[in-house]
Amino acid sequence: MDWRVGIDIGGTFTDFAALDPRSGRLVVHKQLTTPHDPSAAVIAGLPVLMQKAGAEISDVGTIVHGTTLVTNALIERRGAKTAMICTEGFADVLDIAKERRYDMYDLRISYPEPLIERPMRIEVSERIGPSGEVVETLDHDQVRDRLQRLAQAREIEAIAVCLLNAYVDDTHERDVAAIVAEVLPDVSISRSADIFPFMREYERWTTTTMNAFTQPMLSRYLDRLETGLGELGFAGGLFIMTSSGGTVTVETARRYPVRLLESGPAAGVHFAARLGETSGIADLLAYDMGGTTAKGALVRDMTPLHRYEMEVARVHEFKLGSGLPAKIPVIDLIEIGAGGGSLAEIDARGVVKVGPRSAGADPGPACYGLGGSAPTLTDANLSLGYLSADFFLGGEMALDGGAATEAIGREIAAPLDVDALRAAWGIHETINEDVARAFRNHASERGFDYRRSTMVAFGGSGPIHALRVAHKLLVPRVVFPAGAGVASAIGMLISPLSFEVLRSDLVELEGLQPAAIDQGFANLVDEAADAFSGTDVRRTDLTVVRALDMRYRGQGYDIEVTMPANLAGAALIEALPRLFADAYEGVFSKSFPDRPIDIIAWKATVSGPRPTDSTDFAFDRGAADQARKGVRAAYFPDAGGFVETPVYDRLALKPGDSFAGPALVEERESTCVIGVGDRVEIDSHGNLIASIAAAEGTLAA
Amino acid sequence: MSKAPIDAVSLGIMWDRLIAITDEILTAIVRTAFSVGVREAWDLACVMFDAKGRSIAQASLSMPAFIGTAPLTMRHMLARYPVESLKPGDVLVTNDPWLGTGHTPDICVARPVFRGDRVVGFVMTITHLPDIGGAGLAIGNPDLYHEGLILPVCKLVEAGTFNPLLRDILANNVRVVDEVFGDIDANVAGTEVGARLVGEFMDEYGIDDLQPLADAIIAQSEGAMRRELAAIPDGTYRREMAIETVTEALDLACAVTVEGDRIALDFAGTGPAAPVAINVPFCYTRSFASYAVKCLTTPSIPNNDGTLLPISISAPEGCILAATKPSPTGGRHTVGWFIVPLVMSCLADVLPGRVQADSGMATLMLVTARRSDGREMATQYFLAGGLGAMDGHDGRAAVPFPTNNAVVPSEVWERETGMRVLYRRMLPDTGGPGRFRGGTGQEAALVNTSGMPVDVSIFGLRTKFPARGFLGGAPGAAREFAINGSAIPPKGRHALAPGDTLTIREAGGGGYGDPKLRAVEAVAADVAAGAVSVAGALSDYDVTVDPATGLGTRA
Repeated sequence: MDWRVGIDIGGTFTDFAALDPRSGRLVVHKQLTTPHDPSAAVIAGLPVLMQKAGAEISDVGTIVHGTTLVTNALIERRGAKTAMICTEGFADVLDIAKERRYDMYDLRISYPEPLIERPMRIEVSERIGPSGEVVETLDHDQVRDRLQRLAQAREIEAIAVCLLNAYVDDTHERDVAAIVAEVLPDVSISRSADIFPFMREYERWTTTTMNAFTQPMLSRYLDRLETGLGELGFAGGLFIMTSSGGTVTVETARRYPVRLLESGPAAGVHFAARLGETSGIADLLAYDMGGTTAKGALVRDMTPLHRYEMEVARVHEFKLGSGLPAKIPVIDLIEIGAGGGSLAEIDARGVVKVGPRSAGADPGPACYGLGGSAPTLTDANLSLGYLSADFFLGGEMALDGGAATEAIGREIAAPLDVDALRAAWGIHETINEDVARAFRNHASERGFDYRRSTMVAFGGSGPIHALRVAHKLLVPRVVFPAGAGVASAIGMLISPLSFEVLRSDLVELEGLQPAAIDQGFANLVDEAADAFSGTDVRRTDLTVVRALDMRYRGQGYDIEVTMPANLAGAALIEALPRLFADAYEGVFSKSFPDRPIDIIAWKATVSGPRPTDSTDFAFDRGAADQARKGVRAAYFPDAGGFVETPVYDRLALKPGDSFAGPALVEERESTCVIGVGDRVEIDSHGNLIASIAAAEGTLAA
Repeated sequence: MSKAPIDAVSLGIMWDRLIAITDEILTAIVRTAFSVGVREAWDLACVMFDAKGRSIAQASLSMPAFIGTAPLTMRHMLARYPVESLKPGDVLVTNDPWLGTGHTPDICVARPVFRGDRVVGFVMTITHLPDIGGAGLAIGNPDLYHEGLILPVCKLVEAGTFNPLLRDILANNVRVVDEVFGDIDANVAGTEVGARLVGEFMDEYGIDDLQPLADAIIAQSEGAMRRELAAIPDGTYRREMAIETVTEALDLACAVTVEGDRIALDFAGTGPAAPVAINVPFCYTRSFASYAVKCLTTPSIPNNDGTLLPISISAPEGCILAATKPSPTGGRHTVGWFIVPLVMSCLADVLPGRVQADSGMATLMLVTARRSDGREMATQYFLAGGLGAMDGHDGRAAVPFPTNNAVVPSEVWERETGMRVLYRRMLPDTGGPGRFRGGTGQEAALVNTSGMPVDVSIFGLRTKFPARGFLGGAPGAAREFAINGSAIPPKGRHALAPGDTLTIREAGGGGYGDPKLRAVEAVAADVAAGAVSVAGALSDYDVTVDPATGLGTRA
């Protein structure tokens, strides 16, 4: 009973990975996603996976599952009939939102509608002040009365309780929730101070409405999944992947569905970080590019950078500010509207633009022959010889090279008066620039010097572009991991149980007492540890990471400072000014030793033991023993144009093999494009490691 | 060095790269700046120039006002320091309102980018400093000399060394020295990052000169702008617009002449400069006038000198849109913002599908107090009115225009000031009725529960002249300020005693088209959403909405 299984539901495929921790053997499987009921693909695919593994479903001890259900429900607005109870005078907070325009020149700017329509919002008389003092007591009868009247007029399935300043003191929110439970016992309740008690009412309340809106649906889904897995004979533990790269129990997932947003990409980043750890790489760029989007993340000291805000259901998919904010712990992802299906067009300037619009899977790129006639990135990559017309998805899908070239010629080359090959190169290189730009900006915002790091590339399209992007970033090395096609599923099965809690509590550092700091963290750790109830993890096996958000008094910018594990009480207080100054200098390059410091928020992340310490997996290999499959013409401008390029079979490459670019390395889901002069080596874990020809070299435009 | 002419493929890739470099510089500055305005409201800009001082790229999230002033600033800098006189490691600076952005707190910092011993371009960054001395930004400042220290164009850094005399002068003239130097250093470091990134870009593509690329960018942008202008019917289109100074009304006038692929905007007929701090140096007028043309013609094309070439802008010296020294200019935005709707209204008849009716704009309030422990409190409150409607598009409620600031969360405000926010509500029936409705305003009530006297300095506008509707649309509601229920002057400094309540009713946006043509379902939805009252639906739209069913019928 010790197989671990990771299951990641994506837009097109549901990916499975099963690991036998004793032998390190890893078995993978892909199953078409079933959008009407995503649990169907899970139930159908698990037996196939375990059959490949040669084991029984009853041999599976743990399943870690990631789902896009919550994200999709928010995008498609398929959720519960949700009401909101808020402080008198503040029902319009959801409409007033952030006020700011996210685009300076677009006069027809549009914003996402709040999840809860105006007539479903009730105001109640009460007020807690900013220091937690009761300014106005809660009128219980009024809550009951207004709730009953709304319930008579409209159907209510879920309720978000959102009171002003509840992040300081949630007594009134608890009271309101108790009244709701009494008046409407079948309604699911989300409270703002429980979901994630950050200061800033619009963001906290919006996050709470997301939780309420998706809770009933997620709960039903988990019911179906548990029942279905049980019927297959699964008797182990089911855990759910969160957006912060850890897993939670089904019970915790039911309570906090909003924490499941973007869990698939988070798992992919977790995989890249662990791979770095195994290979001794401390700082890396994780680069995942698939059919419609590219995701990136930065890993510093083997830990993915994290943050506490993401956007969902954007009106303009890749415009920051055009979505609903979710304040939850998340891996700090870069999202780029670039993927194989990205459409190429000529923009208003008269130059090539690729994405963010995508042809998707249907009709898809012109070369799919499914009715799409607009040129895409995949069409360009096929025209340039990077993709093989006969070995797409391992040969399951034949591509039409003529259609690709025709589409590029018609839509791009002819209007720009260049030849089709030049246009194809323009499409390819535009994406390289877009991805490099996104990484640069993201890294710059976070003070991360990417020039000495390593890139880990995965996803269907990432390996085609990775080396060229790395070259632009002066990143000297790219790792193409084994198992890149199911990176998120692998990331899931190696993720530990983990839960993070926060408390906003403003404290002036100079008045902080040793007992108070210890008690403050102890309360948080107790709260976080509750998320482990019902698991077999012992309290003594938990790892705790404590952090404080701090700032110079009067400044508006918080810096997160991680507490050294060995310090507590008076020693910790004494160390805090120096710890803060160091963290501050890391961001601002200077600090102000004489300024008073405030603590703004307290955080604790509690994690269970790691399921495995190694990412040294043994993949089931293909039958081929001939690594070099042949040659085909591929376009390398640094070599002067099309050159006969050796093609290698990824699965037949063995540790120690090495060769120089230009080369193409094919696997079922992707192709690694190795540039002129770049060197490749297969390491002892089966990863393909490419070194850039010359960090300061010149690329042909 | 590549001698080949730049084709459309290379142009697109390399053009975007230059923009990416300016974006990265901007990000680096936001990360390291101290000013709340820079961090929270992105009150900054980054612009790249070619060796001739023509702008070729700008950071996407730059303040529109600065984008328009920066090219002029660059010209002034090069007039003072010709390119031959610059050495590697030099950094130029100015905050002169007439050479810079129109008021003293904005500092413009420019660095030549060297390739070997030759200048290939410039990187300029502009940020709003936390303080520049003098009496601060106050409407009552009688002249420029109250508005703080003015640096003429000078070398802030000479061959890598910060000018010690300038440093001393600055340190002796500003209040929060650490923050001010922190922000100046952020600008200097930002331009340094920019110079490095331009060098890396040129290495990567093996080019020694930016000029062919710059020429291509400018030519391509100019062509796109000219094509759009040529599509506008030739003619001269005039409008006047009354705005309020402090208590008086003042006319702004504009004549827009379109002739072939050129456009000229002339502000002759505009009233004179005022003895309060709302005067607009011409550079700022030029900036918002070209911003309006840009929004109407080529909103998706990156800005550069090419898009500006076909636009000429003029205003008679001494009018409030071309005020002369030493007119005070601290609140130049309270007049300058109106340039955008004025230009829009001139072109409403010939570009009906593109113009935006007047917006309610926004209120900026500086709030100061001395705490009981002697510490000073200084913060800002910001509240936005409704956007103007457009053909096919209702105006959004509570969004600033043409400026851009972010909301002040009530929880943050209460914690920082000790003042209570009683409520923040949408104001039904404040959006100008129209076939497409103007955005609604909002109302906020702030109670001084801090226990100490609090000073508020308000730059209020649109209290007498509400946002105009376009093409048959009706105006939005005007803005109102009151303390304890009694109206107060919209521009000025007011004392809030403990227990006093300040109420701000933000202006709605103007409507577009005949309200009687608004779809009945749209009116009913407005009532459900609280944007229009049942009474307003009947009086403004002739629509009776049944509160029980939510259904509407037109009489």
